[in-house]
Amino acid sequence: MNLLLNFYLKFFVTSSEAASNVGFWEAMKPPVDISTYGHLVDDLFMLTTKLILFFFFFVCLGIFGFSYLYSKKRHPQPLYTHGTSKKQIAIVALIGALVFVMVDMQITTISNRDYVNVFLNYPKESDDIVRVEALGQQWAWNFRYAGKDGVFNTEDDVVTLNDLRVPVNKKVIFQITAKDVIHSLYFPNARIKVDAMPGRISRLWYELTKTGVYDIACAEICGTFHYRMKSTLTVYTQAEYDTWMAEMEERTKHVTEVEKVENYWGWKWVASN
Amino acid sequence: MAFFEQEIHDAPTTFLSKYVFSFDHKVIAKQFLWYGIAFLGIGGMMALMIRWTLAFPGQAFPVIGTLLFPNTNGVVPPDTYAMLFTLHGTIMIFYAITPILIGAFGNFCIPLMIGARDMVFPTLNMLSFWLAVLSALLLLVSLFTPLGGAAGGWTSYPTLSTLIGSAGVGQTLWCLALFVLGVSSTMGAVNYIATIITLRAPGMGYFDMPLTVWGLWLTAVLNAIFLPVLGAGLLLLTFDRVFGTTFFLAGAAATSGSGDPVLFQHVFWIFGHPEVYILILPAWGIVSDLLSFFSRKPAFGAKSTALSMTSITILSTLVYGHHMYSGQMSPLLTQSFMMLTMTISIPSAVFFANWLGTLWKGSLRFQTPMLFSLGVVFVFGLGGLTGLYLATVSTDLYLHDTYFVVGHFHYTMAASVLLGGFAGTYFWFPKMFGRMMNEALGKWHFWLSMLGLNGIFMGMMVIGHAGMHRRIYNPFVYEFLQNLIPLNMFITYSALLMGSAQLLFVYNFIHSMYKGPVASQNPWEVGTLEWTIPSPAPHYNFAEIPVVKCGPHEYGNPNLKGKDFQYQTEELVKA
Repeated sequence: MNLLLNFYLKFFVTSSEAASNVGFWEAMKPPVDISTYGHLVDDLFMLTTKLILFFFFFVCLGIFGFSYLYSKKRHPQPLYTHGTSKKQIAIVALIGALVFVMVDMQITTISNRDYVNVFLNYPKESDDIVRVEALGQQWAWNFRYAGKDGVFNTEDDVVTLNDLRVPVNKKVIFQITAKDVIHSLYFPNARIKVDAMPGRISRLWYELTKTGVYDIACAEICGTFHYRMKSTLTVYTQAEYDTWMAEMEERTKHVTEVEKVENYWGWKWVASN
Repeated sequence: MAFFEQEIHDAPTTFLSKYVFSFDHKVIAKQFLWYGIAFLGIGGMMALMIRWTLAFPGQAFPVIGTLLFPNTNGVVPPDTYAMLFTLHGTIMIFYAITPILIGAFGNFCIPLMIGARDMVFPTLNMLSFWLAVLSALLLLVSLFTPLGGAAGGWTSYPTLSTLIGSAGVGQTLWCLALFVLGVSSTMGAVNYIATIITLRAPGMGYFDMPLTVWGLWLTAVLNAIFLPVLGAGLLLLTFDRVFGTTFFLAGAAATSGSGDPVLFQHVFWIFGHPEVYILILPAWGIVSDLLSFFSRKPAFGAKSTALSMTSITILSTLVYGHHMYSGQMSPLLTQSFMMLTMTISIPSAVFFANWLGTLWKGSLRFQTPMLFSLGVVFVFGLGGLTGLYLATVSTDLYLHDTYFVVGHFHYTMAASVLLGGFAGTYFWFPKMFGRMMNEALGKWHFWLSMLGLNGIFMGMMVIGHAGMHRRIYNPFVYEFLQNLIPLNMFITYSALLMGSAQLLFVYNFIHSMYKGPVASQNPWEVGTLEWTIPSPAPHYNFAEIPVVKCGPHEYGNPNLKGKDFQYQTEELVKA
């Protein structure tokens, strides 16, 4: 496969430089998983893949096998059956039941368990968490930290544009809305997204496990420059984060124009529990 | 069983009454077919421009690029890109697949297959086509308005589709165009339902109808119920745009009033999910029939196929919530929608088993319609099964709005429906035009299309799983998508292959219409009612209304002497 890809790259993709050092299978992988629950998504994806390949194998076996065995040349006299005997109906019903029990029930149960126990299991307000308010607008993400006083929408809030920084190994909880049209806050590396909608506040939480710099995108079409609605996610160690936050809090004192109404786009934090 | 006597009218004589404002269901079917094929071409060109932009950002679109986008030297600009994917979706769904599968095959097959002389409401039928033309004009005019056509995606969620997100007249015209098209399709649907109920030939019970008619009937039922819902949503959206109401505006976006953008999503998807089945049901019906015709064997469990299609029709109205998982649903709703969505796989598994059961121990003739039908089984298998990832909420939160979704729904709605439509076209062409299509070209068309479309849609699922989100003009501004450049190029090459394969079809279609070998009355040796009359079908269809005595799938009966199939008008031969 790699050989094929190299051949292909050499002859067709002379202009692109970035891709040439990544293997064929490597390129297909989802971005590196940096959240505590990303593996739940990946595992369920793999499980579903195995299950459907199992059934699709039989579909293919039917299509290609029967096409080979029962072509006009090989099998001139067809069997005259309407598929209505008890045995035939039982087999068809069994296939339906098998798909439902083997695939559907299994993945539904897992997915529901994950969704309720993990994705919707928001960290307690009393825990040691980082709280962030996010506001989507055409075409940027605004992020707001509560600042020194721990209260949102006050003059000491730390506000960033397209720049989210969070500490590693710590639960982060977001409250998200949009200013103009619907956006969707998408963290490919954390395997999660949630819509940002004008008029309502959505929530999302995660805990990241790897430091580094990653992409944040908007997943919902929001106009011409939808593709440019890109932000940076920086995952710091706790110490780095504290330093950065202290700097930002200091800076806020000098930069924020206290009288300007537009600076107060935030809202009072809605306690989750 | 017919509810009233059908008269034979005189053949229309003038050009206008014969070819333009015709009441004849077969002419209207052909009009819809041309209409659909024309838009298929336009929508396909748009798809190629989208694919080109994704694989070669910043490079001029070859050949016609400089003509279309002179200001950017042939490069597709980002605002045009948004228009392209919006109109690609709209055109393919409402102006290509709907007219071909429902308009053309619905009109052509229903009266012929149930033994009627025409639709029950011929004038309504004609009106349905001309309203569709009006709608197409509205859509095309919207492209030439100052800010261009609609650019909010085919789903056109507010508030992007309100004045906040798109100020131009284009979006308003888009709403009106779809509203008019909804009226047109509803007219067609009412007509189909009434025709099937009242005009079945004497002796034809519901389970004696070919499965094609079953598929078209169920589609018509869904259309009649749910297109008005879309119409209502579009009207409210138009009010928001034109009269300053705030049905879909909320919070920071609204200057006054307190609507809710999510309301539109509910209205849209309660129509939108059945719409998927509206498009695929006729194809399922056609495939169920053709597999039996070309396996020379009765359709396996035809009754259970019909019933499982019916149960899918019912279930399809109850699952739309899985389109909105990312909007933060309560776990009670996600649980319900997940379960309901999953139950659809039971009837689906049943008719898949029946399809394979039909092939089992048959005597398969691999003519072009059969190849396309087998193609549908293959691609719909893939498309249906990959839906499971999107029905489970936790995986959907990652995959939603990525190319995985795009790949999945193209497999079900584009690949399967197109292949089903081609199968039907190759199959009924002799009855439509009295000539045969070229077999060799048909087979080339099939294999090249299969290769192309699997390359495209499989590739899309792969890049979607790798995280590439939808509707982005240039994916490579993102670090995590850098690896996907070669794959995107591969998809674009596949799309070019798929696109050029369709030229074979167009050539074959037009050439065969005039120069193809003259078709006999029953070239495929099939027993349904349309093959008991000459090719092409005369304007009154049946000189005498046929009386149905057996089911539509009587093949390979060992008691038959001299031939291996029975017309539906013949008494079932028993030992």
